[in-house]
Amino acid sequence: MDPERNAGQGERLGDLGLRDSLRYELEDEIRQAIEAELREVLDQELRERVVARLRAELVEELQARIARVRAELETEILARAEPAPPPREFERFSWNFRTQHWVLLVSCLTLIVTGLPLKFHEARLSQFFFDLVGGVGTSTLIHRIGAVGLMAVGGYHLFYLVAFREGRRNFLKLLPVPQDILDFFQMVRYFLGWTEEKPRFGRFSYVEKFDYWAVYWGMVIMIGSGLILWFLETSLQFLPKFAADIAREAHSDEGLLATLAIIIWHFYNVHLNPEHFPMNRTFLTGRISEEEMRHHHPLEYEELMAARAFRPPAPARLPATEQLAADPSLPPPGKPAS
Amino acid sequence: MQWNSVPSRKLWREAEAARTRSTLGWEGGQGKLAGAGVSSGIAWMCAGLIGLALVLLFTGKALALTKCLICHGKSTLSRMLTSGRAQSLFVDEKQLKQSVHAARACTDCHSDITAIPHKAEIMRVSCVRCHFKGNPVGAPQTDIYVEYAKSVHGVAAASGDTKAPVCQDCHGNHNIRAPKDAASQMNKAHIPETCGRCHLAVFSDYRESVHWQAFASGKKDSAVCTDCHGEHTIQSHESPESSTYLSRVPETCSRCHASVAVVGKYGIKTEQVATYGRSFHGIAIKFGGKTVANCASCHGVHDIRPSNDPKSAVYVDNIPKTCGKCHTGANVNYAKGRIHVDPTKKDAGLVYWVSLFFKWLTISVMVGLSAHIGMDLFRRFRRRGSAG
Repeated sequence: MDPERNAGQGERLGDLGLRDSLRYELEDEIRQAIEAELREVLDQELRERVVARLRAELVEELQARIARVRAELETEILARAEPAPPPREFERFSWNFRTQHWVLLVSCLTLIVTGLPLKFHEARLSQFFFDLVGGVGTSTLIHRIGAVGLMAVGGYHLFYLVAFREGRRNFLKLLPVPQDILDFFQMVRYFLGWTEEKPRFGRFSYVEKFDYWAVYWGMVIMIGSGLILWFLETSLQFLPKFAADIAREAHSDEGLLATLAIIIWHFYNVHLNPEHFPMNRTFLTGRISEEEMRHHHPLEYEELMAARAFRPPAPARLPATEQLAADPSLPPPGKPAS
Repeated sequence: MQWNSVPSRKLWREAEAARTRSTLGWEGGQGKLAGAGVSSGIAWMCAGLIGLALVLLFTGKALALTKCLICHGKSTLSRMLTSGRAQSLFVDEKQLKQSVHAARACTDCHSDITAIPHKAEIMRVSCVRCHFKGNPVGAPQTDIYVEYAKSVHGVAAASGDTKAPVCQDCHGNHNIRAPKDAASQMNKAHIPETCGRCHLAVFSDYRESVHWQAFASGKKDSAVCTDCHGEHTIQSHESPESSTYLSRVPETCSRCHASVAVVGKYGIKTEQVATYGRSFHGIAIKFGGKTVANCASCHGVHDIRPSNDPKSAVYVDNIPKTCGKCHTGANVNYAKGRIHVDPTKKDAGLVYWVSLFFKWLTISVMVGLSAHIGMDLFRRFRRRGSAG
């Protein structure tokens, strides 16, 4: 039997008391081997001296190795008692999700910039804008390019919700639940200082859910009315003129509401609040720090941590065996000295 | 206008060069008489001349008019133009006596006539001889001819278009009167006829319009030609400077139709201008749209009629056709709903309710969201304050 492996395995079982008995066993084995080899060559005295010398060296080396392995095992055992150290960042939004957000962002900004001057046509800034882009014809064209972007991302998002596992999972977590209402009231109590306990959010807080579902409302109104106005002559084949007037009114008013919601509400909650001012980088990198995760999404954080704790430790994280194997001062494992 | 031939113009210019503006009136004639008396004693002659001059000054005009009327007082006096038309050369003394130029002599205006009978072609009268700023003869002080020179009429006249009107074509010649004089052909009541002498087709359209009908029925605020087109500054509707240029039509109409003081007293709504301004048509035209409707696109130009007139372009049955001028395939749906819709007014129907809904939705949502933000900030700063 290979002495090193024996020693290693013995120690890995955590039974450090085996050390001595193992050593004697090894010593016997080594002595027998050496004696068998040298019986014919050397006389008794010389044999005794060689064996004694070898035994001394072996003991020394074994003791050092055992100490090392024990130290490693101790740290490993300690580490296993506690959860694995978490990574410093989590991925919150995938590349797919972030790309959708980018298209939505660029489309919305384009639509706002080219749309508001029409609503506030009496403002001086509107005159400046139209002079800048070269008239209402150009701005109309830009507005329609933005509209195509908005419709594309809206359509793709519905596909994403169905076709991607990630989309389905996110969607389920975005569905409003009664707890959101309780969270809201808890948040208000916290804001007003009536309680020190913040509501504990999962992956999406009620604020984020509100933002998400507000976009559905906005998309339905804006795309619906926008298409009527874009293809006015076709629409009026089927709709009375006052329907087009309603579409225009709704388009104009909802456009303003959406703009205000984005600029005041969404920007404040994501970027402009004192914690993240001036910008939260998550929409760029998709990553969120552990601290923020723990702070803003404690339930999701705990869920993730629990999942990690139950996961068996990866072999790569236990270097003891490999290190032993790679040690050049010892014969390779599985090849007993013969 | 055929009398204004090129050779006679040259003659007129020569005659003009020979005279200065200060030698108006009968002093020219007096000069001839003075020349005959130089050979006598100078002092007596001078005194005699002054006396004669004074006598001639007060009697000469009457004499001259009488002289001229020997021929021109005959109502049958006429001549044949090269075009074959007969031109009456009759001057109605009564008419002349009632004009603003009653005190002027014939040759004050017809300054190229120096002898009777006059042989050369008689020049067209140039009003600018007296009507300029700083004139010493008591004519109204005005530089309006400068504006006229830039107008479509002035430019055409300067380029040699003999059909283009000059001052007297509109203001009148022997019958010239102040515009506020009801008998003046520049009086508001007569302007359509005056312009219509050349713009005949437009005049016949205009006679049918609500503007003329209203004017004729005594609503003196109603628009005649000059109210929309301007007077001396008149431009072609294709010129961007024109008050009838496509993007300036709303502004021109709004001068009356946005004013409660003007149209309000006749029960005409003034908000039509504002609702147009808020419509996509109005916004687009303001910011350089060249293919959107202005007032005239729908209501018509000279033949604007009230919307309850079945001949009106905006009569409910005619709306598909009117909208169809631009919107291909326009049908009866275009007439379903108000055209000048004001979403803030209850009579806008469903549009009003949608507008109201969004108004309160926006207010309540933004108040709610702002309150949430406010409470968040309150908490954050309070915590920071208590920690520090």
